[in-house]
Amino acid sequence: MQQRRELDQSYTNRKLLNGQLDTPKWWAPTVTGLGILVVIGLIVIATMINKGLGVTGLGRPVFWGLFITTFVFWVGISHAGIMISAILRLTQAEWRRPVTRAAELLTVFSLLTALVFPLIHAGRPWRIAYWITPYDISRGIYPNIRSPLIMDPVAISTYLTGSTLFLYIALLPDLGNLRDRTTGWQNAMYTVLSLGWRGNPRQWKMQTVGGILLSALMLPIFVSVHSIVSWDFAIAPAVEGWHSTIFAPYFVIGAVHSGVSAVVTMMALMRWLWKWDDFIRPEHFDALARLLIVVATGWLAFTFLELIFAVYGQDAPELALREMQMFQWPWNLLFIIFLLTGYFIPVPMWLFKRVRTNIALMFWTSILVNVGMWLERFLIIVPGLARRTPFVYTWEAYRPSAVEWTIFIWSFCWVTFLMLLFSRFFPLVPLFEQKESQVFTEDVTIGRAKVPAIVREAD
Amino acid sequence: MTSEATAHSHETEHHAPPAQVDADIIAHELIATTTNASKRFKTIAWVLGIFGIIGIIALVLKFLDQGSDSTKWGYVAALVSFLLSITGGAPMVAMAPVMAKANWVRPVTRIASIFSFAGVVTIGMLIPLVAMLPPLVTEGARRRTIWMEAPDYSPHIWSTLGLVLLFITGIMLFYSAAIPDFAAMRNHSTGWRQRLGKRLARGWVGTDSQWRTLRMRIGMFGTFYFLILVFVNFLITSDFGQSMVPGWRDAIYPMYHTVSSFQAGVAGIVIALWAARRQMNLQKYVHMDAFWSLGRLLFALTLLWVYFFYSSFIVFWYGRSANDIATLNLLVKGPMIYAFIAGMVLIWFVPWWILIWNKVRRGVNGMTIGAVIILIGLLLDRIRTFVPAWSVPPERIHEKWLTVIPETVYPSLLDVLIMIGGISLAAVIVMLMTRVVPVLSVWQVQEFNLLAKPIRYVRGHATLVAKPD
Amino acid sequence: MSTQSILGLFQQPELAADAMDGLKEAGFELGTFDVLTGTPYPEGAFGEYVPQHRLFRFPAFGAIIGLTLSIFLTAVTQLAYPMVTGGKPILSIFAMLIIMYEMTMLSGVIATVIGIVFESRLPNMKPGVYDTRITEGWIGVVVTFDDDSKVAEAQNVLNKAGALEIKTA
Repeated sequence: MQQRRELDQSYTNRKLLNGQLDTPKWWAPTVTGLGILVVIGLIVIATMINKGLGVTGLGRPVFWGLFITTFVFWVGISHAGIMISAILRLTQAEWRRPVTRAAELLTVFSLLTALVFPLIHAGRPWRIAYWITPYDISRGIYPNIRSPLIMDPVAISTYLTGSTLFLYIALLPDLGNLRDRTTGWQNAMYTVLSLGWRGNPRQWKMQTVGGILLSALMLPIFVSVHSIVSWDFAIAPAVEGWHSTIFAPYFVIGAVHSGVSAVVTMMALMRWLWKWDDFIRPEHFDALARLLIVVATGWLAFTFLELIFAVYGQDAPELALREMQMFQWPWNLLFIIFLLTGYFIPVPMWLFKRVRTNIALMFWTSILVNVGMWLERFLIIVPGLARRTPFVYTWEAYRPSAVEWTIFIWSFCWVTFLMLLFSRFFPLVPLFEQKESQVFTEDVTIGRAKVPAIVREAD
Repeated sequence: MTSEATAHSHETEHHAPPAQVDADIIAHELIATTTNASKRFKTIAWVLGIFGIIGIIALVLKFLDQGSDSTKWGYVAALVSFLLSITGGAPMVAMAPVMAKANWVRPVTRIASIFSFAGVVTIGMLIPLVAMLPPLVTEGARRRTIWMEAPDYSPHIWSTLGLVLLFITGIMLFYSAAIPDFAAMRNHSTGWRQRLGKRLARGWVGTDSQWRTLRMRIGMFGTFYFLILVFVNFLITSDFGQSMVPGWRDAIYPMYHTVSSFQAGVAGIVIALWAARRQMNLQKYVHMDAFWSLGRLLFALTLLWVYFFYSSFIVFWYGRSANDIATLNLLVKGPMIYAFIAGMVLIWFVPWWILIWNKVRRGVNGMTIGAVIILIGLLLDRIRTFVPAWSVPPERIHEKWLTVIPETVYPSLLDVLIMIGGISLAAVIVMLMTRVVPVLSVWQVQEFNLLAKPIRYVRGHATLVAKPD
Repeated sequence: MSTQSILGLFQQPELAADAMDGLKEAGFELGTFDVLTGTPYPEGAFGEYVPQHRLFRFPAFGAIIGLTLSIFLTAVTQLAYPMVTGGKPILSIFAMLIIMYEMTMLSGVIATVIGIVFESRLPNMKPGVYDTRITEGWIGVVVTFDDDSKVAEAQNVLNKAGALEIKTA
């Protein structure tokens, strides 16, 4: 359980604002390096748009490959934010405090990245405007809202707008804090951004009540987003392995699994890079890992149900697909890696407290989970399309091209780049949450024992 | 600036911290609840008991009369599923404190785990169904089940065993958390209750190691219980529901059933808690906090029900293949449309509008009404899926998909009597169990009081909740 | 006479609460004095005036607007360009529901955010007297006046409660 520590508020300020007030030495070279990689990636994307999708490995019958897999992957990662900050806020979990901001940030940036993939995958991205926005009043041509490919952008932009606003609202008190610590143009910027925050009871009350209300509103959106992404696949009866009713919750719980793991990765990095050992502590990793055990096991149950009801029908094409997905080269290798990295290596390790509180081990196991979860998406999307069926005359296996791999790698550089850029101007750990936990925790003595206790407002 | 008055009334209403009660008074008062049954309590128990006996007779009569026609047994299947939902789902709440370390749930755990005993009714009702379940292979063709290559007796035996295992684990979960209370009964009660307490307390004196073992046991049985519950839901829904309809392939259905079983469980607890609070004057121990938290849980589960339903529905609706259409016609659009609409309104729409208002959710009566409505809705929803599933004639059960939608089976008098009887029997078992052990766990109420203290924070009122390991 | 405010700074919450009590006793109206902190305290910790809010109306209002707009958008665009796809009806209620749901939630969230900003009485670019040490854990008790006559009295109360510093603006 949490060790209570007395942390002075000005110490908290100094430590947690070190990214903005006292930028670490590694920051500038790292951001520059990442920036160069990002530019290279953008050039590759531009080339692909110029030359057309022929530079990718996509083609009959596999039209959805690495891009769509990576799209689903990043949408999945984006589910970390609201999961952590909304559910834990609603359940008043004390250990959420250092985690929320980073998680919300991950949501925003990974969603931004996810959106890029369908866009460039369209080949002629500018035409997307015709398909998804109902603006063509003069000719009376409107988007087909019966298509999940329309529902998808609607859901994702809702989620993106919502989580950006959520992030901003929760940032207000910290912006006020930064305003008080800075001078010159920075002070002017923070003054405007903090909207004149003062910290009176009314404003704090709005932070608390509003935070809970927004959490309650964001939670159903978060569930709907990945459900709708799953319906991109699930409502199509033509591809074996896709037409399953379980897809929506299966995708959501998988997204939570990968998203929370990504938060663990990020927390470990934050602790190492900004030296926040006082704030991001082993017990936070412990709590996250406990949560992950539950989520991962739930996810495994859904995986099991998905599989059993796929073969349940005993339809020949479905059985053939599963046979290929699980037992044929090279899918069988991917399938084994997926199961091992997604569940069977990390979860048994997390059962031991020594692993849960070891930050290096948590870092690596959380990366393993995301390797597994990326493969899961790949194994759902590609084999169903790649299976040889009588009416398909090109039977070539899909092999992602160098362009696809470059763009795939670019997406990781891009998210990291955005994160680091953000960290230069805004704190990654919510300071006021941190200070609040100081105010709201106390030790009580029961007999001879000192037990950590939390002040709960009777509401 | 109107608000001073509201601010103050706010304080008296909500900020009133739970009263602190001494541990020995808690033990005395709670143990006294086992003996001081009111007249009304006895009357209700008798009436429910008589209904229960009528139900059993009706079940026997039905078996004698319609024992050869499986299409008539849908309502019994729906009842089994409904009872499994409540009696299986409720004890899940009993393990929440161990898992989430939530303080509010401590006084509620006993009443939740008592529901396990009513599981015996579920098993009883399943017996004729096992006899009626069509064989896996008819006319040389094997129907689609989760038992693909398994021997012919598989669904029958494993589902029954699963249900029995769930029952036993539920009782073990109850018992492992009740040992300190049996010790309290040994010390404070009289007559057969004292003898029972002495026997079941197994030398409990409350040493440090005994407490540690107790917590470990609750954690262990709780985890087991959860896993078995999910698995039994999977078995029952696929063997007694999904696999009865050719072409119904709905991977989410077991989870849908599990989630709504939690919903039924929480609703059941709310009603039981309301009755206990009223009838036994336990306002001092059943705090509003518990109702609010249960209300939030119920609200979340209500939304989850809609989500699971829609996730399944939309895939069939978009799919539009022959078996997608047949499945929808059988279960949703066809003859069951009225049960479906009523279920939707009662499980989701009405409770949603009731529970979204903080004021209602925070009142005991509003919550209870919401819970009753949800249970009625869930019963209708169970009827919607199980009755059509059983109405498929056995000779069509191994077809690729349903080519003819069977006629709707309406409940006969016997079905109605069985349903009323089964539910009454389950209720009376829960009521009788409150005569054996205190309806609120003595040691957990004591612990609740120990860990949550009303404090003054500078000038404000708050509660200090200790969070031990 | 223009509005004027003074700010007393404290390091202990108890002293700030004393000052608040003192101001109440001295007959200052509720709402003319307030406490500024760098972190949320349990409600009523300073015996402060507990602000009432109407935040819950905002999401409801936003949701209604979103729902109306989305019904219009989904229904009218489909009727205006009636192309049957996949044998589904032109007005496919189950597909429309998804868009309606998203738009309802979106405008609910936007309205809530507007509500939070509005109910926090932000933006407030002329916040009056303030001290940057408040975000370092100091507690400020701020009193606003319409006329100067009570300034001395308020200063007196703050001093008596043990204010470390008093600022005027």
